[in-house]
Amino acid sequence: MSEDNVQIRISNLTRSFREGDLRHDVLKNLTADFRRGETVALRGRSGSGKSTLLNLISGIDTPDMGEIEVAGMNITRMSERDRTLFRRKHIGFVYQAFNLVPTLTVSDNIRLVLELNGTDDKVAEQRIEYLLDAVELPDRGRSFPDVLSGGEQQRVAIARSVAHDPAILLADEPTGNLDDKTADRVLDLLDKLVRQMGGTMIIATHSAAVASRCDRVLELHSGQLIS
Amino acid sequence: MPVLYRASLGYLRRHPWQLFLAILGICIGVAVMVAVDLANASARKAFISTMDILNGDASHQIIGGPGGIDESLYVDLRVRHGVRDIAPVVSGSIRINGTTMQLLGVDMFAEREFRSFVTLASDSETSSNTAIWSAESLVRGFLSGEPNVLLSSKAASEFGVRRGDNLDLIANGKKYSVKLMGMLGGDDRQQLSNLVIADISLAQDWLGLQGKLTRIDVKIVEGDEETATRIASLLPSGAELLSAAGRTQTTAAMSDAFMTNLNAMSLLALLVGVFLIYNSVAFAVLQRRGLIGVLRALGVTRSETFRLILGEAAFIGLAGAAAGVVAGIWLGERLVGLVAQTISDHYFAVQVTDVAIGPLSILKGVVAGLGATLVAAAVPALEASSYQPRLAMTRSVIEQRTGTLLPTLCLGGLLLIAVSAGLLWASGSSLVAGLVALFLLILGFAFCIPLFVKHASSVLEPLAGRLGGTAGRLAIGGVGKTLSRTGVAIVALSIAVSATIGVSVMVDSFRDSVNDWLNTTLQADIYVGVPRGSVDPALVADVVAVSGIEAYSTSRRNWLETATGRIRVIALQKEPGSFAGTRIREGKPADVWNQFDNEGAVLVSDAYAFRLRLAPGDSVQLKTGQGMTRFSVAAVYQSYDSNDGAVMMSRATYDSHFDDPGVDSLGLSLQPGIGADVMIDRLRAISEGRQVLVLSSNASIRELSLRIFDRTFVITNVLYWLAVSVAAIGILGAMLALQLERAKEFGVLRAIGMTPGQTGVLVSVQSGFIGLLSGLASIPLGLVMAWVLIEVINRRAFGWQIDFTVNPTALLWALALAVGAALIAGIYPALNAAYARPALAMRDE
Repeated sequence: MSEDNVQIRISNLTRSFREGDLRHDVLKNLTADFRRGETVALRGRSGSGKSTLLNLISGIDTPDMGEIEVAGMNITRMSERDRTLFRRKHIGFVYQAFNLVPTLTVSDNIRLVLELNGTDDKVAEQRIEYLLDAVELPDRGRSFPDVLSGGEQQRVAIARSVAHDPAILLADEPTGNLDDKTADRVLDLLDKLVRQMGGTMIIATHSAAVASRCDRVLELHSGQLIS
Repeated sequence: MPVLYRASLGYLRRHPWQLFLAILGICIGVAVMVAVDLANASARKAFISTMDILNGDASHQIIGGPGGIDESLYVDLRVRHGVRDIAPVVSGSIRINGTTMQLLGVDMFAEREFRSFVTLASDSETSSNTAIWSAESLVRGFLSGEPNVLLSSKAASEFGVRRGDNLDLIANGKKYSVKLMGMLGGDDRQQLSNLVIADISLAQDWLGLQGKLTRIDVKIVEGDEETATRIASLLPSGAELLSAAGRTQTTAAMSDAFMTNLNAMSLLALLVGVFLIYNSVAFAVLQRRGLIGVLRALGVTRSETFRLILGEAAFIGLAGAAAGVVAGIWLGERLVGLVAQTISDHYFAVQVTDVAIGPLSILKGVVAGLGATLVAAAVPALEASSYQPRLAMTRSVIEQRTGTLLPTLCLGGLLLIAVSAGLLWASGSSLVAGLVALFLLILGFAFCIPLFVKHASSVLEPLAGRLGGTAGRLAIGGVGKTLSRTGVAIVALSIAVSATIGVSVMVDSFRDSVNDWLNTTLQADIYVGVPRGSVDPALVADVVAVSGIEAYSTSRRNWLETATGRIRVIALQKEPGSFAGTRIREGKPADVWNQFDNEGAVLVSDAYAFRLRLAPGDSVQLKTGQGMTRFSVAAVYQSYDSNDGAVMMSRATYDSHFDDPGVDSLGLSLQPGIGADVMIDRLRAISEGRQVLVLSSNASIRELSLRIFDRTFVITNVLYWLAVSVAAIGILGAMLALQLERAKEFGVLRAIGMTPGQTGVLVSVQSGFIGLLSGLASIPLGLVMAWVLIEVINRRAFGWQIDFTVNPTALLWALALAVGAALIAGIYPALNAAYARPALAMRDE
């Protein structure tokens, strides 16, 4: 893999959790590279460490050992605040449970990310309009999340996750709560938007169908990534 | 508005009940504080303003001993020494149509330099600005020999009299018919509504002060120390020159301790409010832990999260404080009467008609409300901002963290209790330090309560399981397992209930002590007196000679004023061989009465002894007719009649030092077989047409005394009930939030077959258990609080020594109150949980 093309570099990453007196190693000396623009499926059994890896890449969590470089920046050496600001700018998140802000309208949910990134109001307005069109919800901007269907909520979450053009999009079981037809539609959308912005997408999933859409599939097993 | 804050506002809008209760909690706390502040300030302001008006332009006053000053002093100063700017005054209390009024006897020739409301008196019925008399006609009216008086137009209209009408006045137990000559002038009529002006010689006759003056008003230009020194040097040994404003301030300061205690009570309501705000904000954070996690994942920094939560709290605090100020003004208008009544009963006469709304009181309320909210919200806000985004999404982590914090919290609480004990021990007689120690003690106990709840809940869970199955275990065990949500509400209710225990044990102990004291003191069968006056010497002689009287005692109670305060001086002629119904606290009873009767020694009240650190064998200095005189202290005696302190001496000792032969009251012991009613009839017959005597049995005096005592604590009761209501609101808020939080759990229970009734009972049992734990936790705190109130706060504030007695009924009431408040607060959440649609509840979660 060419050095210039590496978007995420993970070296000797270790993360463990304590449960009472027991220590449970989730990731052990894990090393991996992710290219700019590729989509990667992360598979593995429940508890294999998929979500932990996504949390570490986004800077939400910190490793016990090892380093993570994202777009040339070593996020493991950053302060908590710097990691937050890094995440704000470079990372987009899509969750299985959507995690929209229930007290904000659909438009405001998207606007929140733009506002955090200091986007000009006018530009933000245009961007929201574009994204709502793109996720095929042009007339739901004023709706609150709780009146939308699961598929609609996830499409809003996708719009929110790419609103600020992040370099990396992390999706944790994005279709886990959706029926097959809706899931297909959501994945089409994700794929389209990520490819448009030229970012890297890592999807944690159990689904073989989801994995088959990705450029690469990696399996997490005993704390290690296997191609 | 930034989207982040819109999200926050949206949350508040979606939980209107929680928002309302949080605002209400802080509103009541602030309202009580503002109300007490306004009531205190208004009472003080009314007193000072009335005194300023009554003093007129007088800068100084010459005062004498208990019997007043000889009027020859005035003549001497004016004629012999050429002191011109002086005016003689005789004052005292009289009654007109059942209303107690203040009679001011003035000399019209001297008066024009001092009180404009007298010299601008008018013959008009309505306004002072029309038809003002000439000074000459006013003087002529006063010197006409007619019993002419001036009243304020307000008083005249209340009594239904017009200019030229006659009205009856009772002074020193005698009735006089007087004529209303005109209305008082000036613009300050409100403060004068209690005043009657008459010529000085008439006032002397009516008050039984022939040849005496109450004081001489003096006008000295500011800074003219030479004149002040000169006048002071001309005074006989029993008289002294004091600053008029200083006298007013000294008198007003007598009620300082009472007002400080009221302020402390009001702060207690605010303290309970602080816990509730903490509760509300902590709930708001807990309920949104998922949302906060999402926001943190999206890139919201810790400081932004902190500011967001604190901003929400500031909004609640500001709304609560604003509403609290408005409610406080309303409440203040209602409390001011109670405050004025208590001050009038115990310190000085004050009549308050309006609440003076000072900007400082309002500012204090807003700052306290907002400050308390921000302090209370800082902890949950810090907690929210410290969450790792991933951790923020799991509730079990929060409960686990709360659980591990409890021992540390409890240790911190014990440390606070130790600091409080140290402060109590080291702070001498400082009232403020005592109150600070009390608040630290409350906080310290509060920190220990959650650990107690956790253990109590886990100990009782198996028992609940045996009695009520899984549902019982859920209800009881749930309290301990959801401490992050229930803990603070339990603490708030415990503090409020412990305050009711503390205050009621203190008041009951006090009442019992006063009752004991009255039983000891009131040994005669009948007491004879004249309200605010003295019994005619001739009548005294006739009364004690009535057949059927076995023995009698007399007493004279007067105030001895000094530049730093006043002391009650009691002259007692006790029944031969009796111990004067006096309970000796310190001193050898065998020696005390010999020293008292034969060696000129005095007894000092326990309040006075505490303040001046006096013990038997010490001495006190009093200003007597012979100048400063030292009296040996024979004993310290129990007394609750004045917290300014009292010095009791034998009548013989009093007569040898003061020129005041008056007798206020007589205690008559009847011969066996003579009924009190028969004797009262005989005494009425003998006093008929001479003086209106008040004849009371000891039972009626005891009843009246206890009635005044109960009246004193009405305002205390009002304040602590308000604190309880704040806590009940907190419990309601906590139960609502808990129910909201556990909506999914209830939904599941309903889905698997639990009936609405069973769900409702589960929530109610949980509410009742919360109340029970709060009640149990409040008992030790309440008892310690009562001990501190009795032994430290009351002692330092008033000097009273109270015997600590605990009535178990008070503790049972407190327990019932806690359980009742929690059950009532739990009704709505129980109904809500019972009738929630399971499908919706599970979806919403």
